[in-house]
Amino acid sequence: MTGSYDAALHLLDRQVVDSDGRLVCKVDDVELTVGADGSLVPTALLVGLPALLPRFGRHLGDVLTRTHAQTFEAQAGRAVPDVIEIDLVEEITSEVHLSVPRKGLLQPRAEGEAAPERIRLGDLLGLPVAADTGTGLHRRSRVLDVRVVPVPDGRRTVVDALVVGPGRPGALLGYDRRSEPGPWLVADLVRWLHRHARVVALGPGVEIDVPRGEVRISERASVAPLLG
Amino acid sequence: MMGAWRTTVVVVCVLAATSGCSLVGQPDVAAWDEQAHQAVTDATSEVATARLAVQTARDERVWSSYTLVLVADAEKAMGTVQDDTSRLQVPPGRDRDAKDLATLLDDAAAAVQDARQHAVEGRYDDPALLDVLDRAEDRLARAGSRW
Amino acid sequence: MKRYLNVLLGVLTAIGGFVDIGDLVTNAQVGARFGLSLVWVVVLGVVGICVFAEMSGRIAAVSGRATFDLVRERLGPRMGFLNLVGSMLVTLLTFIAEIGGVALALQLVSSVNHVLLVPFVAAAVWIVLWRAKFSAIENVLGLLGLTLIGFAVALWQLGPDWGELASTLSPAEKPAAESWATYAFFGVALFGAAMTPYEVFFFSSGGVEERWTRKDIGVMRANVFIGFPLGGLLSVAIAGCATVVLMPQGIAVETLGQVGLPVAVALGKVGLAVVVLGFFAATFGAACETGLSTGYSLAQYFGFQWGKYVRPRDAAGFHVILLVMTVLAAGVLLTGVDPIMVTEISVVFSAVALPLTYFPILVVANDPDYLGEHCNGRFANLLGVGYLMVITVAAVAAIPLIVITSMGQG
Repeated sequence: MTGSYDAALHLLDRQVVDSDGRLVCKVDDVELTVGADGSLVPTALLVGLPALLPRFGRHLGDVLTRTHAQTFEAQAGRAVPDVIEIDLVEEITSEVHLSVPRKGLLQPRAEGEAAPERIRLGDLLGLPVAADTGTGLHRRSRVLDVRVVPVPDGRRTVVDALVVGPGRPGALLGYDRRSEPGPWLVADLVRWLHRHARVVALGPGVEIDVPRGEVRISERASVAPLLG
Repeated sequence: MMGAWRTTVVVVCVLAATSGCSLVGQPDVAAWDEQAHQAVTDATSEVATARLAVQTARDERVWSSYTLVLVADAEKAMGTVQDDTSRLQVPPGRDRDAKDLATLLDDAAAAVQDARQHAVEGRYDDPALLDVLDRAEDRLARAGSRW
Repeated sequence: MKRYLNVLLGVLTAIGGFVDIGDLVTNAQVGARFGLSLVWVVVLGVVGICVFAEMSGRIAAVSGRATFDLVRERLGPRMGFLNLVGSMLVTLLTFIAEIGGVALALQLVSSVNHVLLVPFVAAAVWIVLWRAKFSAIENVLGLLGLTLIGFAVALWQLGPDWGELASTLSPAEKPAAESWATYAFFGVALFGAAMTPYEVFFFSSGGVEERWTRKDIGVMRANVFIGFPLGGLLSVAIAGCATVVLMPQGIAVETLGQVGLPVAVALGKVGLAVVVLGFFAATFGAACETGLSTGYSLAQYFGFQWGKYVRPRDAAGFHVILLVMTVLAAGVLLTGVDPIMVTEISVVFSAVALPLTYFPILVVANDPDYLGEHCNGRFANLLGVGYLMVITVAAVAAIPLIVITSMGQG
């Protein structure tokens, strides 16, 4: 994996392809692990309805997830998503290439999913942002995306910044990240809707609190406009 | 969640109300006239189809099963037109017209049925058949201007 | 030389594959009721399907992504799912209509009731989907569909006064007895028939099936820009035949037999036989395409293996869906529902569902992450945005028009 990418825009919902070119699944969600130093590292792709359904929105997602779990009550492991370790991902283009064949690949974590240090990208997206007024962030900002960059020392990647802004339609169209793509009418409308979107570097002043359901950003955080 | 319920209830009510409107209505002269006109137009289409089918069959421009399917479909559609018309509630002052319309449609249906019987037997050379269809068509054309 | 033959084959199958039950029925209906005063809608629809298909074909060739991959990536899982449900319903409706159309075409030859033929037709469609090679389905049925050129020959043989016929092309020539609402309703239906969403699912997924690469963009464009407009001409010929023969007699088209009747008048048994073969090939081909499209859409949303480029056992889920959909379609037809009525509904709802897939395609066609240097140019975007508006207007107008005109009755 090379280069930086925005996980919601460039990784979520992409097609996963195995080493033989066979289609495997979609990236239904991404698992992020909080390191000892507080860094946020993508560790696995999450696959299957238990990963997909919660992303259908707060209310609908809950209902669907619960219904799915109840339907397959008797089967152990049906309520937790399957994982593909991020080390198996060779390249992310318009599809996600794996370095192994698909046979028998998908299985849930043996130790179960519940671990406080593991969070889902889907849970992080849409979290409300409590920002100090000095940051210049819009009042109703939410987490729209996370920016992932490679670590200089090797193959690992790490979350480097959050994209925050008022959660308006069209964040997944990509117009808020690049200035060149058209067509002008659609693009201008989406860029205008997302004119308050900012990139907030992870580090001092940024505190992600998934259990309490919010991200706190103080004046110490470094905030940059999204469209460079 | 409550919002979703409320929307559902409103949608169901609106649908129920509108479908109620279209099912039950006072007999209305203008609406009856319009439906009578529609019935005549539909019947004209079926009779003309049967006529054209018989004509092409006579000229040996089409094989028998094709003709048979055409006239059988026309006969069935004719039956639907008659059924729909007979179910219309006749508004006051239109009794006479209703009777005329029913006779007209009966004649047209009989003509199409005649065509179907000939098609089943494979006899298209009967000159009387085309006459019957032509007459039915003429009468429908004259009635079309009445309503 | 081989390359040119390939281009020719592609263009010919695009022409033969353009017309389906929706085009056959809607064009004949409109021709018989409105003459040629709605031909401009066919032109609008054909240019639209060219714009839409070229964009999705280009995306498939460069990035290997088919329609529903993009829908989910650009709209997210929730909107994408709503989109999937809407598009699947319309495609299933079209699938039902196509299988019914095959049965109706066979009924014209055998005079056996079409309901009795449905199980056999459905079984045949499924066996072809399961066993036949993708290129075989596309080429054989596409080439057989070319026999619909019989309509153009028939129109020429009927020898209408061409000047007079051309003078009825303007919308102002709408028959006085018809209201503008009915005119608009049939306009939307005709637009939906020309721009059926499954055509694009099938076209883009077909590009992936046939392993298109950047080098194939030229061939793909030739297929689209030559094949589709010529296919559109067949649609106009069908409408023209109905205008010349059926309209003066006051015949409203309600059966497939009536659609072919002008050809019998003009060309006799042989011409009619050729055209009925065309009915069969066009509807059978479209049945295969719509059937595959239902499988493509579901598999592309959920990400499991699809396609005929792998062995059926490697895409087991995909083939199970094809089987279930075929059984479902046959089940609906066995209730005795009139396939022509299903067709009428399906073309209108095609117009309603169109923006759902058109919009994400237009966005991705501009995204350098997917397309690199092959992004939309200015002209493509001008047409793209223009059609976004046209498609939106048609979709928004469709439902009120259905209610006001009670499906074009009034």
